[in-house]
This record gives sequence, C-alpha cells and structure tokens, in this order.
Amino acid sequence: MKTIVIGLGNTLLRDDGAGIYVVRLLRRLIEELEHRPEAELIEAELAGMDIIEKLEGFDKAIIIDAIQLRGFKAGTVFRLRPDDFRTTPRLASFHDIDLVTALELGRRLELSMPEDVLILAIQAEDTVTIEEGCTSVVEAVIEDVAKEVLTLLTGKSGKRVSIPLGPAKET
Amino acid sequence: MASGKAVDAVYNIEPPAPARKLRELYYMAHFIHSHAAHFYALAAPDFVVGPDAPPEKRNILGLIEKVGLEIGKEVIKQRKIAQDIQIIVGGRATHPVWNIPGGVSKGITPEDRETLKELANEQLKFGEFGLKLFNDVVLGNKAYVDLILGDAYELVTNYMGLVDENNRVNFYDGKVRVVDTEGKEIIKYSESEYLEHIAEHVEPYTYLKFPYLKKYGWQGFKEGAGTSIYQAAPLARLNAADGMATPKAQEAYEKFYETLGGKPVHKLLATHWARLIELLYAAERLVELVNDDEILDPTVRAIPSSIPSEGVGIIEAPRGTLTHHYWTDENGIVTKANLIVGTTNNNAPISMAVKKAATKLIGKGGEVTDGLLNMVEMAFRLFDPCFSCATHSLPGQMPLLVEIRDSSGELIKEISR
Repeated sequence: MKTIVIGLGNTLLRDDGAGIYVVRLLRRLIEELEHRPEAELIEAELAGMDIIEKLEGFDKAIIIDAIQLRGFKAGTVFRLRPDDFRTTPRLASFHDIDLVTALELGRRLELSMPEDVLILAIQAEDTVTIEEGCTSVVEAVIEDVAKEVLTLLTGKSGKRVSIPLGPAKET
Repeated sequence: MASGKAVDAVYNIEPPAPARKLRELYYMAHFIHSHAAHFYALAAPDFVVGPDAPPEKRNILGLIEKVGLEIGKEVIKQRKIAQDIQIIVGGRATHPVWNIPGGVSKGITPEDRETLKELANEQLKFGEFGLKLFNDVVLGNKAYVDLILGDAYELVTNYMGLVDENNRVNFYDGKVRVVDTEGKEIIKYSESEYLEHIAEHVEPYTYLKFPYLKKYGWQGFKEGAGTSIYQAAPLARLNAADGMATPKAQEAYEKFYETLGGKPVHKLLATHWARLIELLYAAERLVELVNDDEILDPTVRAIPSSIPSEGVGIIEAPRGTLTHHYWTDENGIVTKANLIVGTTNNNAPISMAVKKAATKLIGKGGEVTDGLLNMVEMAFRLFDPCFSCATHSLPGQMPLLVEIRDSSGELIKEISR
C-alpha cells in the first residue's frame, strides 16, 4: 500500500505549523528505525486544488494539520475523516476549493486518489502570532502525534493520542 | 515578492539583473497558478454551468461535467507545472525563503533551464487555450455577452496598474499609473512616492480600509468622473496601461477593447477576460525569461553594505497593486510596516459593485431566487478578493464587544470574545 504523510501548515504562525513539526519529527523517528516503513513524507503549505497532485497515486494519506474548533482545549488531537468536515460544493474560500471537494474532483477526473484519508488535527491555541515554534501546550503533543503516525505506518501497537470528534469534550 | 523588493529598498540595494529576472520568472509562474485557479475553479462555473444553475452544480465539479474531464485534468496539470517552475527556481512554491536582500539565494543550472523551457512552453499553450475557451463558451453565447455588457455589472472609477517605461502592463516592476474614468493618465508614481498619492479612508464597521486618490480627496462611495475611488485588478491593469509587452497578449488586448467598445472598459465582468489575457502574458513572459541567457549568470546577489532604514516595494499581485512599506532599526528589524494589499485597493469598488448588482438585478417586489443571489455574488467574485490578506489586524484575539441595552439605553449586558 502506497502511503503519503502530509504535514500542512505555516511555521511562521506558531501553532499553524504543528503539522509540519510533526512530519519533521516523524522523519527523524523513521531514520532511527532499522526496518523503515515505506511512506512518502512531505511538508506543505498548500491546500485546495494543489493537494490533488500530492495525493495522486497513493492508496492511503495521513494529513496532519492544526485546527481551531470552538470550545475545545488546545492540544486536543482529533482523528477525522473527510466526511467529518461538513461541507457543500459551494465555496468555503473565495480562493480555492476545500479538501473534500479536492478529493471528489480528483476522483471525478479519474485520477488515482487515496481511498483511505485520515486527518490528524491538532487543536491550536495561537495561529495569529508571527513566530516560529508552537505554543507549549501544542508543542507538548507533537511527539505523541508523530509516534501515533509511526504506529500507523509500521502497524505496530502503540499509544494513541487522537480521539474521534464525537466523544471529544468541550471545555 | 513585494516584501523582497521592499527589503531591497530598506537596504538601499539594487539586485543584479539575473536576480531580478529570476524573481520575475518565478513570479510569472505564480501568476499563472493563481489566475488559473480563479478562472477555472471559481469564475468559469458561473458562465459554463450558468449563473442561475443550482449551487450543487455551479462549481468545478459541475464545470467538468459540462466541458469534459480533459479540461479539468489540464488545469490540474498546468497548476502543477506552475508550482514545479517555482520549486525549481525558488526552492518552494509557497513561502519561499529564496528572495533575500539584494537578490536571491541561488541561481539555476543549465539543466534546470532546459527543464524550465519545456515547462514554460506547456504554460504558453495553456494560456492560449484559456482565451480560446473564453471565446467559444462566453463570447460565443449572446446571453453571456449581454450579461457582460449590461448595466448591472458596470462601475465607473479610476484605474491603477504597474507599467513599464512604455506604459505596458508589468507585474514585477515599473511605475504605478492611474488613469481616470476616461482613460487619461492622471497620476504616475514611483514606489517611494505612494503616500503622496494614496490615502485610506476608515469606516467604523470594518477592519478593512478604503484607499482613495489623495488628488480628489475622499468623497464617499461615489462613481463617475471626478471620483477618488480607483480599481486595481486585471481589468484595471489593462485600462491603466497602453498595451501588453508580449505579442500574443497584445493581440488579445486589442481584440478585448475592439469588442467592448474602446478604452477604458467599465464593464466589471470583463475582468474575467482581462484575467485570461494576463495569464497569457505571464506565460509569454515566462517563455521570454527562460530563453534569456542572463538567467544562468551566477551573479544573483549584491551584498548590502548600507545601514537599513526604510523602503517601499510595489508589485502587481494577481488581485491588484500590492504595496509594502517597512521601517527598520539599524539592525534591519522591522519597527513599523504599512501594507496596501491588492484587495484593499478594491474594497470600495467591491462594495459599490455588489450594491449596484443587487439594486439592478433584484427588482422591487420580485422574488429573490438563489440564482439572483449568485448573480449578486458574481459582482464580488470577479475581483478574486482576498479579505484575509487585506484585513491586517493581528490583535491576538477578536476585539469584539457586544453591548446589549434596554429601551432606555441602559447597558444590561456585555458579551466579548
């Protein structure tokens, strides 16, 4: 199974870079392994239509990004599927299309889009301060998320920090 | 790119010609990438699927259903090519860290250049294809031509755009030229002079400012001769220039004005056509630059030697003229910044265009259908607005305070976020 791991975000805006930091750490964790899982790891600042080309040709995609859901504690890690994003084919942005539409567009264009798309979304505390590095509360979960992705890639059991959206407790 | 030029100015240094050309080359690919997304994914569904088609069809999925998968695949492919060009030249397609004071951090190899030549030729074909599609699908349909020429999408303002020494459209460098409602040049300024000509009006209901021409003073949201409002987007750029600097785009430019009745064009929906002419120009300029031997010259940076202080950089962003102005301390640390972003220029015109479309399209007592609402949205969408760029407030929290008062005006509750 061809797998791609995409860390999304902007490292210049504090927690917005969380996905990128996870992938950077994951890369180091994989390098330390004797039997390295086969997966492509990329860092990206993009979304919308551009993600189609990144996903093309893979069976499975794990996307790590920051998220800001109202009422949840920063550092909470959500395990989401594209269908969890309530959306319509109307535009969410005036600039681009959203992830779900991008996946659908890729499929309708008969491109080989991954059937299995998992999104690990880290609740951010601060995505507006122009500064490198995450807030301490988000920084504290980066390693756990990287290790969780590693277990997903290696198929070995391990600690799972992510939770599905449903049982997540509002604070 | 504007910040790069502003930082050059802060250090009072001119990048060597190869660096300037590589920056422009990179930027042409960015323009193609941006304009292609807007036309094919955001604007074309209104024309190809229809302005009053149901929303679940009026999107890029509906577009490929109607025009075929091949066009969709081509758009995805060409946007990837545009990104690949940026990666080859600048290391990254988004947030590159290659544009540095006095030039760029790396040049390109002869092998890179050969790859770039192939990719640029693909982009040129794509640029030509866009105009053919517009010609066939939009101009070939009388109803759409009537829509473009109708008075619901007309706004008479001044127009702004960056031009070269021959007053032709330029995206990377030149002087900012402003023409009036009749197309006559009224202002032309260099980067460092922008504050002499542009001021920003503030309304209490929005964080987004309303730039206007100082020459006329703020007169409110008024269109017509003598207005201080100006537009800065593809249509404005074409109106503010005397032509395009590449042959195929120039040909398209001439056809544009012949078809629409001469300069300036005040018909806002023509912005989509103008955008495709610009896409073709960017592709032609890309081809010119990849064939320019100077881009292989390894002298891609001049090392700054003066003490940094203050500087302005102006480029044409896909959404309009983009001005960055920085003040720094002697270590080059920014102490103050002023940005006038592409969409900011268009804030007043967008507001006026939406109001006009709504007023003209929604008749008194008539039913407001979803199709009608979309046609009002079209007046907004044509500017390809980016409000997140244009509204530069970073307070770290939403400084919103809601006061609830009773009928005597006494405060009974305050809610803040």
